[in-house]
Amino acid sequence: MVQYLVRRLVIAVPMLLGAVSIVFFAMRILPGDPCMAMMGDQATTEALADCTKNLGLDRPLLVQYVDYLWRSVQLDFGTSLREGYPVREYIGRMFPHTLVLVVASAVVAALVGIPIGIISALKRRSPLIDYPLRIFALLGLSMPVFWLGILLLIFFSLRLDLFPLIGGGDLDGVLDMIRSGEFLSHPADFLAGVGDVLYHLTLPALALGFTLAATVSRLSRSAMLEVISQDYIRTARAKGQRERAVVYKHAFRNMMVPLLTIIGLFVAIALTGTVLTETVFTRPGLGKMLVDAIGARDYPLAQGAITVFTMIIITVNLAVDMLYAVVDPRITYK
Amino acid sequence: MIDHPVPLTVMLAERQRRRAISSRAEPRSSSRPGPHHHERGKSMSSHHRSPWLLALVGALAVCVLAGSVPAEAQRKKVVNIAAKEPDTLDPHTSILGQTQAIVRFMYRGLTRFAIKDGKVTTAEVEPDLAESWTLSSDGTVWTFKLRKGVQFHKGFGEFTAEDVKFSFERQMNRAPGTRFGVNLGVIKSIEIVDPHTVQIALKAFDPIFLLRMVGYQQGYIVSKKAVEKFGDQYKWNPVGTGPFYFDRHSPREKVVLKAFDKFLGGRPQIDEVQWFDVPEDATKLIGLEKGTFDLLYPEAVTADFADQVKKMGAVIDRRGPGGQERFYIDMTKPPFDDIRVRRAFMHAIDRKAIKETLYPGDLARVASSCLPPGYFGHVPMTFPEYDPEKARKLLAEAGHPNGFTIKNYFISKSFFYPKVLTLAQEQLRKVGIIVELQVVEHATYHENIRKNLDPFVLYGGTRITDADPWLSLFFDSKEIPDPATGNKGTNFAHYRAIDDLLAAGRVERDVKKRAAIYAEAQKRIERDLVCLPLSDVPGQWARNPKRVSTPFDPDYGEFSLHYSYNYPELLKVLN
Repeated sequence: MVQYLVRRLVIAVPMLLGAVSIVFFAMRILPGDPCMAMMGDQATTEALADCTKNLGLDRPLLVQYVDYLWRSVQLDFGTSLREGYPVREYIGRMFPHTLVLVVASAVVAALVGIPIGIISALKRRSPLIDYPLRIFALLGLSMPVFWLGILLLIFFSLRLDLFPLIGGGDLDGVLDMIRSGEFLSHPADFLAGVGDVLYHLTLPALALGFTLAATVSRLSRSAMLEVISQDYIRTARAKGQRERAVVYKHAFRNMMVPLLTIIGLFVAIALTGTVLTETVFTRPGLGKMLVDAIGARDYPLAQGAITVFTMIIITVNLAVDMLYAVVDPRITYK
Repeated sequence: MIDHPVPLTVMLAERQRRRAISSRAEPRSSSRPGPHHHERGKSMSSHHRSPWLLALVGALAVCVLAGSVPAEAQRKKVVNIAAKEPDTLDPHTSILGQTQAIVRFMYRGLTRFAIKDGKVTTAEVEPDLAESWTLSSDGTVWTFKLRKGVQFHKGFGEFTAEDVKFSFERQMNRAPGTRFGVNLGVIKSIEIVDPHTVQIALKAFDPIFLLRMVGYQQGYIVSKKAVEKFGDQYKWNPVGTGPFYFDRHSPREKVVLKAFDKFLGGRPQIDEVQWFDVPEDATKLIGLEKGTFDLLYPEAVTADFADQVKKMGAVIDRRGPGGQERFYIDMTKPPFDDIRVRRAFMHAIDRKAIKETLYPGDLARVASSCLPPGYFGHVPMTFPEYDPEKARKLLAEAGHPNGFTIKNYFISKSFFYPKVLTLAQEQLRKVGIIVELQVVEHATYHENIRKNLDPFVLYGGTRITDADPWLSLFFDSKEIPDPATGNKGTNFAHYRAIDDLLAAGRVERDVKKRAAIYAEAQKRIERDLVCLPLSDVPGQWARNPKRVSTPFDPDYGEFSLHYSYNYPELLKVLN
């Protein structure tokens, strides 16, 4: 197991290197450059030359690349060209917001999607149950997150006034309290802070979670359908086990392996979903930051954000592979 | 004892303050929209029920709150603005509209646009940080007497001639990141006569020098001490002499500004400005209706947007001259090198239809000249009227009886560009000119049009409000873009016929003669058919009039450049 883990981590290095290299060169291949994006229609030849020099973009591409790699190894992603903040600090500030959104949406998606998938598979011969559930899945698949987001905002924020319109809550404050240990000395403050974060998180997590739940329900439905047609399920039933035991003891655990694979993919889908969710709900976060950075050709910021995205996806996939062995003891790693 | 329902945000803010005091920690920046609608009761509509979740979380907070919320937290006058996030708060380093708009709250220039008959005019300037000025008889030396006792924010001391010299020289010397040095290229040297007198010598007479000194872009005065102290970090540690000072920035969330007690015009009535980063116009509108926001800086004011604003009882503050959308036709590129084809192009474009589709009614005006109204020297021009039949005839005469196809026509995917081009594409198709569009990122568009890849170019923009900078930028032969030489100018028409007039205008001191020169320039442009202006689109913000007032008429009561409110200190919160 440890050997496998080490091997996977070693393989992750060239993967990461490949990803950051692709991003580095892809950003430079894109027409337009940061100076042009910053100056727009006021870019004179002289001003552009000044700007390019000041940003170090007049150096040969290979020199820039080696410099970038060397600094990345030291986890120094440079400084945002547009806003001037150190990229590491900037990403560090945005990352928790995106992380809580992804985790919360994953929870919503799992809590809604898996039961719906299972019920839909088990009751596939009851149109009154299966059809509405499948329609729900179809709705989730076809409704873009920004549209659902706006509907939720109009209904729950504007009309019912239950939730806030914008912001991510005082997550920085909560994290500060955890770091400083203040959450022990001021538990009520801490809980109020957490409540505030959850209060701001509810609608975005519902919007993103619902669209993801649709995918999860479809996939868990087909996973369950596959499992319950297996011989050992028939055997379990033939032994006279109760349906509940058949489903939860025999079928559910076996469908977890394909479902875990889905969850690995799911993180990638959720991360891309954060871009629109963060924009519609006006939350700070990596997704919105990345899109703005690409639009402004803010190379260091875009590269830093994509490196972090890549690291997350590699880590989650690794964790999923590890979990296979936990849910299915027949799987071992050597 | 709490006398009345207290919003969660106020409670949290108070508790944070207490915690900060008790633990000597810095107050944390909060992402919550400052004073929520709950405390104001002045939203556009009346959807105000006590939220259960708020109550639940609030209950937790109440447990730790001893005593009532201080009265000042209740009384604080806060304006919440929904716009995009500025990229910097150093006024000399960004061209973005939202940055230009927010820095006006913090900085001032030597001069400002004058208020005449209750309107802010572009025609005259009046003293601001300078109390008076004189011009030498040869027209090349300006002597400014500065106001005494003007203070910079955050204890950075009194504003002096040192700061004036520094503010302009950093731009003239092209300090990294500065963008507007080109507008100060006319200055030869700056001399400090005494702490409150500065002499600016010019290379030659400049008819628009006082306009260059207006608090806008290059004209803002920054604190020398602060820029030297903060260096690269100045962009998020701005120090000016404006009515509001910078308090804090939570990236991708908001910028908070606070009233400056020592502002030269007296402390503004508003205590705090919260500038939220809200990229989506739909979210902005919901926020205006809900009462979360008081002022909106929209990406684009469409008919839908204006309708919704009107329905909810809000107003749109329209500020001329705003931006102009227009086509430049590259007169060197076949088939447009034939004036008949350019004329046919103009006959094919229904300007009124484009304007009415995109900006129905009073959202914009059909443009009347390639030099927009509001700019010194503007005279109305005439353009070939919409007549597709005539266009087809002209094309046939020019040897294109079946029209022609323009392949790979690049257009930006942002702002008004794709909308205008799609409409124009359909109109041109009717006369046989087929335009095959390639929609690209805005930055790519800017790159491609400077490589002369588009035979006609759609463009917008706002400049110093005088014919000289405007016409020089778009019609001076020095500005013809050329990939071979690296010239990235904006004379997309490749026009050379008014160079002499531009040169004459730059040295002419008689106002009437200058006006005549630019009238002649517009006549030549009209004759040569190289520019077709479409719409004059004013700067437009939406405002909740129950919450915030301005002394100027919503309808063109104020001239604005990128900012909408020339005098943010005159905005008032109504309660």
